[in-house]
Amino acid sequence: MFIGMIAGAAVGAVLVLIGLFKLMWRVAEPNEALIISGSKHKMEGLEAGMGFRIVTGRGTLVLPGMQAVRKLSLDLNQTELSVDCVTHQGIPLKIRGVVIFKVGDDFVSIANAARRFLDQQKRVSERVHNVFAGHLRSIVGGLTVEDMIRDRDKLTGQTRAACGTEMEKLGLIVDSLQIHEIEDPTGYIKNLAMPHAAAVQRDARIAQAEANRLATEAEQQAAARMAEATRDSEILQAGYQAERDNAAAKAQQAGPLAEAAAKQEVVVQETRVAELVAARREQQLQTDVRKPADAKAYEKRTLAEAERDARISAAQAKAKETELAAAAEATATQVTGEAEAAARQAKGLAAAEATRAKGLAEAEGIKARAAALAENQEAVIAQQLAEQWPEIVQAGASAFGNVDNMVVLNGADGMADMFAKALTMGGTGLGLARQLLSSMNQNAVPAGGSAGVNGVPVEKVQVDRES
Amino acid sequence: MTMDEASMVGLMGRVTGAVGPGLVGEVIVRVRGGAEHFLAYPSSAKDRIEPGTLVMVMEYLPPRTVYVSAAYDS
Repeated sequence: MFIGMIAGAAVGAVLVLIGLFKLMWRVAEPNEALIISGSKHKMEGLEAGMGFRIVTGRGTLVLPGMQAVRKLSLDLNQTELSVDCVTHQGIPLKIRGVVIFKVGDDFVSIANAARRFLDQQKRVSERVHNVFAGHLRSIVGGLTVEDMIRDRDKLTGQTRAACGTEMEKLGLIVDSLQIHEIEDPTGYIKNLAMPHAAAVQRDARIAQAEANRLATEAEQQAAARMAEATRDSEILQAGYQAERDNAAAKAQQAGPLAEAAAKQEVVVQETRVAELVAARREQQLQTDVRKPADAKAYEKRTLAEAERDARISAAQAKAKETELAAAAEATATQVTGEAEAAARQAKGLAAAEATRAKGLAEAEGIKARAAALAENQEAVIAQQLAEQWPEIVQAGASAFGNVDNMVVLNGADGMADMFAKALTMGGTGLGLARQLLSSMNQNAVPAGGSAGVNGVPVEKVQVDRES
Repeated sequence: MTMDEASMVGLMGRVTGAVGPGLVGEVIVRVRGGAEHFLAYPSSAKDRIEPGTLVMVMEYLPPRTVYVSAAYDS
């Protein structure tokens, strides 16, 4: 029990000791410095009169309540700069840049910085900005735009010259000063660059044109060479193709040629066979057909000739016969004709005589009538009228022949009256005829003498005589 | 601290900003386990030391100023 209590107390004591140690022991991190002030202490690394202790990179014992411990960051800081400046030439510029700085690692710098910034570490950037803003104006005022752009070394050198010692006072070191941007509201830099840009553009265009020309030349040459090569190749190919075609055609023809030659041989042989056959057949025909035919023809011809001769002889005989018969008939006909002619003549003569006798008789009659007429004209005429009465009445009636309908108004008496008048007209006609006759007789006295001699016309009798 | 001051002198460094009369130069020196830059002035007034030259710290003025001369005469 006792031992346990002792052990517990010991453990407690150890724990208390550890706690106390934890309270008293402070360790500085690599990026910070411990500034320990208060009470008497060993002036570590610093001269006397500094009044505080600086510890970096290790632990140290601090008496709580007796000593104060503060930390100073040694980290990198950065400050953005934005400054309106005027250059040496009087050109206004707006410069944007950045300053990268830190507290120096040596104890002097740490002491300087600690004295100045320990309570306002957050505002270091602001301070530095103010310092740099002023200095940058003076630096830029001492430079030209061309220097700033081209000679960065000069800018950093000037910056170092102007700010380095001042920052040294603050215990700071400038790691880097960079100008990000130079804003140029007047367009000076642009104009500065313009001739060069134009020259560069010109050179670039020239170079490009030249390159294009060279490339085109090379391309055209290459194309020409290609075309040449293609042409040569095609010519060669065509030549080879021609040779191949030739050979192929020959090869193709070889078979048919041989075949044709063989066929030709066969045909020759066949032709000869056919010729032989034909010759044999001809011979056979000569013997089989022609000779018998000739014989038959000869026979027929001979027979025909014989028949013809016989018929000629027969015809001649017949002709002779006919001639003789015709002559005989002619003679007979002549004789007959003569006889008939004589008969007709005799008949004609007889008829003529008869006619003449009749005519004479008539003439005698007429003469007698004429004599009677001369003596008693009216009686004769009346007789003739009486003889001719029916014809006269007919002629008178013919005047009514063309009448379709005749209306006789007086009835039967009228009719008789009309006929009586017609007959009276006949009577008047009688008187007219008498006058006519008398006038005729007076005129026809000279003609009557000749008419009295040849009162009867002679009738000519034609007698056909056959020769 | 004198020890620090003594340790700086004689160290080798490289010029990063031209050192010369009328210029504030810059050198970078290996110190305290790292490399820090210091404002640099020529130790002999007429020297001009171009960037990239190897230099030796001849004098150290705290907090951050050193006087240097070229390490090798060329």
